[in-house]
Amino acid sequence: MRFSSFSRTAGAAALAAALAACSNTSSTTTTSSTTAGGSSPAASPAAAGSSGAASGTTIKIGIDFPLSGQDAAVGRPSANGALLAIEQANAAGFAGGKYTLSAVVLDDTVQGKHDPAAGAQNVKTLIADPAVLAMVGPYNSNVAKAEIPLTNDAGLAQISPANTNDGLTIGDDAKKLRTAHPDTNAYFRVCTRDSRQGLALAQFARKLGWKKVYVIDDNETYGKGLADVFDPSFQKLGGTVLGHDHITANQQDFKALLTKVKSTQPDAVFYGGDVSTGGGLLREQMADVGMSKTPFMGGDGIGTSEFLKVAGPMANQTYYSIAAPDAAKLPSASAFVAAYRKRFGSDIGAYSANSYTAAKIEIAAIAKAIQDDGGKLPSRADVLKNVAATNGFASPIGTIGFDADGDTTAPILTLKRVQNGQPVTYDQLVLKT
Amino acid sequence: MHLDGATLLQQLINGLSQGGIYALIALGYTMVYGIIELINFAHGDVYTLGTFFSLAVLSLLGVTGVVSGPMLIVVVAAAILAAMILCGLTGVLIERLAYRRLRNAPKLAPLITAIGMSFILENLMLYWRGPSPVPFPQVIPNPEIALGAVTVQAKQIIVVLLAVVLMLLLQSFVLNTRLGKAMRATAQDKDAAQLMGIDINTTIALTFLIGSALAGAAGFVSGVYYGSTWFFNGFAAGLKAFTAAVLGGIGNIAGAMLGGFLIGLIEALTTQFIGDQWSNVLVFSILVIVLIFRPSGILGESLPAKV
Repeated sequence: MRFSSFSRTAGAAALAAALAACSNTSSTTTTSSTTAGGSSPAASPAAAGSSGAASGTTIKIGIDFPLSGQDAAVGRPSANGALLAIEQANAAGFAGGKYTLSAVVLDDTVQGKHDPAAGAQNVKTLIADPAVLAMVGPYNSNVAKAEIPLTNDAGLAQISPANTNDGLTIGDDAKKLRTAHPDTNAYFRVCTRDSRQGLALAQFARKLGWKKVYVIDDNETYGKGLADVFDPSFQKLGGTVLGHDHITANQQDFKALLTKVKSTQPDAVFYGGDVSTGGGLLREQMADVGMSKTPFMGGDGIGTSEFLKVAGPMANQTYYSIAAPDAAKLPSASAFVAAYRKRFGSDIGAYSANSYTAAKIEIAAIAKAIQDDGGKLPSRADVLKNVAATNGFASPIGTIGFDADGDTTAPILTLKRVQNGQPVTYDQLVLKT
Repeated sequence: MHLDGATLLQQLINGLSQGGIYALIALGYTMVYGIIELINFAHGDVYTLGTFFSLAVLSLLGVTGVVSGPMLIVVVAAAILAAMILCGLTGVLIERLAYRRLRNAPKLAPLITAIGMSFILENLMLYWRGPSPVPFPQVIPNPEIALGAVTVQAKQIIVVLLAVVLMLLLQSFVLNTRLGKAMRATAQDKDAAQLMGIDINTTIALTFLIGSALAGAAGFVSGVYYGSTWFFNGFAAGLKAFTAAVLGGIGNIAGAMLGGFLIGLIEALTTQFIGDQWSNVLVFSILVIVLIFRPSGILGESLPAKV
């Protein structure tokens, strides 16, 4: 009697937990629509001031990033980069003032963290609006995985400034994402891939003199993908990988894992993943198991101010890569850097220049389509065709083009090191394609 | 893979201290289930709230690092008492507002309400302290005690001791006081207890007060132990603690403690021998197996001890 009442309750608990999981997804719609309402006016003042005849037809560009929660530290500066490009185009009298560009800014965060289902929902919202001709985003590779089939189906040109997972553009994985039109590609990126990022990090790790490394990843598309490239590359270069572990979502305690790592006596710990999936806490707890002198390395996922905050004093001796040039140091980006600071009152983020470039490519593609159609409102297909044909495009991050997969033809990586609590550019690499 | 005695011992210490935190949370789960047969899903979030409450008191006192001398006792007492009192009151408030009306409703209604309460608390904390991990000052001096190749941190010993002491206090309260007797009577048969002149509402409120206060204590300890917290912490910790309560025998105080320590140990050893990603899988598989072969848990719902 007693037991039966308990087991019934437990069953109900499981059911309720499942219901709770569903409700997570539906809550995103509200999050994203409020953000859209809050952010799009930011673009309109510039639009209104651009020309006297601002009554022209509006063409919209979608922007999807994690704008709240722990990922906001990287998402907001990225969204701002795209916004700035749109505002500048309007101010310069886009398409002779006949059309006005406007941004639809959506947030793909749920419970403080980027969420693929939320990203997919945002893309559906964009596709449903016929005035949206292209989109910039997302930030996270697993979100891109959920979005690519949708933009592929709708033929909506999508450029990401920051997704680095290989399977988004090349190989069988990429083909599987292009479900509706396997032979056409609507997804592009101006950053490089993890196979190049992971390889560069492995070379860098060897250059630092590390022989034995322990690899940990967060079991997500991006983190595991990066770690799975770093691991064999490091071994091929003569290094030893002492072990490869995966952490789980919402984990707080890494002491057991780090005790195991410590017992293998590594020269460094490599982490594939984000700060929101545990990167900062993992680094912070290395002090608890007596590994405060062991260096830490990761990809662009830990290259955020959030990491410095969470890891605290332990952030020092951390090395990470950014799949973008250090725009603050590029002569070609100085005008952009200044304009960004003037507009938003803060310095650029790691992917602001990439995002700005992505939006500029789309704006150029739309402008060309308008011109080719004799001033008529272009179709999404026309815009996509022009984006795909991008070649020799002069941008703050260099001369950009896309290959047949949608990858950039000019991959550049920056390597950073945290010293005295601040990231310092350590090295810059131009990779061969 | 790689194994030596020292690492194994170190993992047992890691497991025990993590388990101590689960155990403190599990005590509240088990008390509430024991008395009104409700799985209080909001309990894990009350625990996180405890960390935030004690953090607020620490910032009020201007504490940002390790405190030494007699001030240490004052600071720790203030932080832990504030967390216990405020969490206790939160628990009573939740019971009064959300659960009391549903006491005679079908089982599913209060359960869904509990999940709703959990979301409300999580989002209040999200609003209060933001979505990122918030650093927590070290407060307690943390000398590392070296035992051969194994090092034990003072805070690990504190976690385990606190869990055991609070469990014993709770046990003796339930077994030896009039109020404890009233709780046991209410757990056995609410209607009969009421006929015997026991104020059911007060007794149940008291259960929530004590259970949530223990979660508050766990919240303070976990802040010191991990050096940080964030609004979503209670979700995973609450699930583990609930599992601990079921594993030990839900409604059984000593069982909750045993379950907590066991789960901490299982996690640490899984991480060492199989891989970190499998620890949740193993913990919940063991839960399923125990429920199939020993539905009342390891120690069972021993009635005399049942709250």
